[in-house]
Amino acid sequence: MDVQISRRRFLQGSVALTILGASSLTGSALLDEGTKDKVGDGVRKSVPTLCEMCVNKCAAYARVENGKVVKLDPNPHFPKSKNMLCPRGNAGIQALYDPDRLKYPLIRVGERGSGKFRRASWDEAFEYIEKRLVKILDEEKDNRSTIAYCAGEGMAEHTFKSFMADKFGSTNFVSHASICLQTTISGYALTIGGYGQADLENAEYVIMAGANRAEAIVTPDTMDLFKRTKRRGMKLVVIDPRFTNTAVHADRWIPIKVGTDLAFVLAMTYVVMTENLYNKKFVEENFNGFEAYRDHILKNNYTPEWAEKITGIDADTIRTVAREFMAHAPKAIYYQGRRTAWSRQDFQLRRAQAIFTALGGGIDREGGIIFGKKLPLGEHSINAPLYANPKSRIDKKEAAIVGGSGTWIGFRNMIVENRTPYPIRGMFVYKQNPMLSVPNTQKTRQMFEKMDLVVVIDTMPSDTAMMADVILPECTYLEREDPVRSFGGAQPSIVLRQKVIDPMYETKPVIEIIRGLAEKISKPLFEITKKYDEDVQMEIEDRGEEAVYKEDGFDLADAFRVSQEEINEHRVVSIYGKEAYEMLKAKGVFYPNMEQYFKQISTNEYEYYPKDKRYYSVIKGELKVDVHDTCIDEKEIAVMKKRFRTRSGKVECVLPSMAKRGVDPMPTWRDELYTETPKGKFKLITGRHAQFTQNATQNNAMLLDLIPTNYLWINKRVAKAKGIDFGDWVEVSSKIGTIKIRAYPTEKIGPDTLFFIHGFGANSDALTLAHHNGASDNAIIEDVIEPVFGSAAMHETIVDVRKV
Amino acid sequence: MALDYKSCINCKACETACKEENGVLLGADKHRIWVGVKEIEGEFPLLNIASNTFYPSQCQHCDNAPCQEVCPTQATYYDENGVVRVDSDKCILCSYCMNACPYDARYVDDRTDTVDKCNFCSDTRLVRGEVTTACQATCLTKVRIFGDLDDPESEISKVLREREHFTLKTHLGTKPKLFYLI
Repeated sequence: MDVQISRRRFLQGSVALTILGASSLTGSALLDEGTKDKVGDGVRKSVPTLCEMCVNKCAAYARVENGKVVKLDPNPHFPKSKNMLCPRGNAGIQALYDPDRLKYPLIRVGERGSGKFRRASWDEAFEYIEKRLVKILDEEKDNRSTIAYCAGEGMAEHTFKSFMADKFGSTNFVSHASICLQTTISGYALTIGGYGQADLENAEYVIMAGANRAEAIVTPDTMDLFKRTKRRGMKLVVIDPRFTNTAVHADRWIPIKVGTDLAFVLAMTYVVMTENLYNKKFVEENFNGFEAYRDHILKNNYTPEWAEKITGIDADTIRTVAREFMAHAPKAIYYQGRRTAWSRQDFQLRRAQAIFTALGGGIDREGGIIFGKKLPLGEHSINAPLYANPKSRIDKKEAAIVGGSGTWIGFRNMIVENRTPYPIRGMFVYKQNPMLSVPNTQKTRQMFEKMDLVVVIDTMPSDTAMMADVILPECTYLEREDPVRSFGGAQPSIVLRQKVIDPMYETKPVIEIIRGLAEKISKPLFEITKKYDEDVQMEIEDRGEEAVYKEDGFDLADAFRVSQEEINEHRVVSIYGKEAYEMLKAKGVFYPNMEQYFKQISTNEYEYYPKDKRYYSVIKGELKVDVHDTCIDEKEIAVMKKRFRTRSGKVECVLPSMAKRGVDPMPTWRDELYTETPKGKFKLITGRHAQFTQNATQNNAMLLDLIPTNYLWINKRVAKAKGIDFGDWVEVSSKIGTIKIRAYPTEKIGPDTLFFIHGFGANSDALTLAHHNGASDNAIIEDVIEPVFGSAAMHETIVDVRKV
Repeated sequence: MALDYKSCINCKACETACKEENGVLLGADKHRIWVGVKEIEGEFPLLNIASNTFYPSQCQHCDNAPCQEVCPTQATYYDENGVVRVDSDKCILCSYCMNACPYDARYVDDRTDTVDKCNFCSDTRLVRGEVTTACQATCLTKVRIFGDLDDPESEISKVLREREHFTLKTHLGTKPKLFYLI
């Protein structure tokens, strides 16, 4: 092969990893799960595992030949992922064999952010962390909260969180929630009791606003939805300022002015109230505060004509959609949606959507939003020590309600603006890349620059890893077993991500990284606690040091000495028995009666539960569990629901306890919270793509082959007037920054809106393919905070564009 | 192969699975398998929704394949299952077949300097005893049904008896075996 170092050639070279001589396979039998057979001199096996190329956790079989993963195929046993693997799932092999992977522990040698590191042993890396932690915590008198931590979504996220919160004792956690679906989850949980699951397999009418299931793939939603669109059983209304691949499947596509969805929903509610289209029986039995909400809608005069002026959607269309929706109800859903908050009014929007769906009765029943059942797993408890000195989290007052997952923008800006009640001197980052994922990259950089210790655990040398003092290399999902997981829904199941091959280089799974780190820092940190913690001093006087250290959980490693495999076995066997665990290992999936229920019904389709055994309607007086969504922290939702005294099982139109915090108790449109687009300027919107997962896949050779870079969507006529052609370089600038990107003039977007896909524009030069490829949206998205939960409102940025 | 093409969302899982299974070179457009996109017509906001369609496609495995007819070295042949195959040892890269194919389904493999195309995973999956192609197995919305057209009891034969369908460029008389279900 030609050995040029051009970009294309690099791409061509990297795929050679997946090519195998076909001749060596001749004559072998159909490979079943868990089987092994000979290939040439080596062994071929198929291991059931779970994908981690995005958050969905689809079941896959990894085909391994002579110790190499050569192909990932769909595993049909999982009711959530239903026998498919998307392009990203297929490209997992390139994540495993990416030559740019983090291979060894690294310690910074240059300036922070310079990207200069030296290779270190694990012990050296742990020692470096230990020394700095000891110094910081001694100076801060054992206030563990001075060391913050953040994590992206992942199956082992809980292991990391549990170490930092329960064992290490820091209160300052920022999760992905505030740049993810915090407002949506909270809006639904506080209104109908849970986020639930849209039953798109049976719904007859679906309004999908801003959600783009053809490109932002969510299982099983994507698979259920598009088999039934285009006059094949479901009517789909897509509300989006952009004509997406989901809109291609719509019966009706309604472009809406960015940030005005709440006005649209309120006006539809007005139609339903004035024309008495709601489901009277359902409302009577299940609503709290219906009369008050109806009066509120009527009194504020949320007419379709009023909404037309705000949303740009004509009044007749609003009427028609509202009537059609209620005509199909209760098998009608205003789809919850996911990803981030768009506008400052996002929480009220989600509340209004939930109430609107409930007005049709499509809650807790087939074809509506269902809650389903979740299969329990055995307990794995942790002995958490009690510290006297950690202070409560810094960002509690940055929004009306800041929960355990924090507000990324609020948290970061407090540090940057020197507004913290005590210093945040260090941060542990696990599987998250806030340099690219949190709006206003410049401020994120400033935050890291202020810290005395930054530790990054990741698989790739991301922009955030470049800001680290120490990088600890995690192995990829194909090289580790992760905590066993239960997925609820109408067809609940338990799934297991098993190790396919041994970790490459010197990488380790996060549980082993934590075990090693904990062994190193546990004793030295206990010395500091002894020095400053009077409670501990008293306990030691009473019971002796050794007893306190061991029995009270100050041995930080004690929870992580058992292997992940053993923990998983215990959690399954303790409830379902040994046989269930064996089945889980062999098939990757387990649920009671699986052997009896699971059937293939055609070459493509499988049945998981017979229709009469599915859990469509579950509420009997009290709603106990939510559908297990990978991004939902159920404990946090339970706390929130308790705090706001929502009555389980009822639809809550009014939340009086919210008013005390300055939040409207009922969904109310606020002109003052709406950002107008000045003439000649644009509102910037962001979104997802079927071949990319945020910025996590930015260096994946296979996926870059499908989508080599990102382009700026600009209306064709606007582009023409500005002399911008396809492929021209343009500059897009907001108040906080400027990016350069190539233009894609199209009629699929309106004249006052610009769009480009998130996930490109990495700065890290350790990422050969991603480095300076395309533009990063968060370099120009302003740090606008949504006032209820402190989420990032990502569609509030006004930008200008010019040809360069 | 029958294609429930209306279910296609152009996610390109099929393309990726094909490349991973069959080792197709990266950096190549429309090699082996692709989704034909008909761009949207109209001006914002009055777009013609129905004009934007996705046509997943690959080699049509014609019963009367022009590529096979023009091949001077018999490198292109029908195998025992009626799949149109290429014997790379016999190919001399004269590229007659590429010009003859009305569906533009053939490409040059830069590694072997021979012409290649979709062979329904005959030498990768089928030879192992699997019954699906990589593109079918991985598909999210289950666009493809692959099977034996000679067996009247096969799923594909039943589907084609029961559902309206069309083929591409039927008038050329190539008798393509990709059937688009309506």
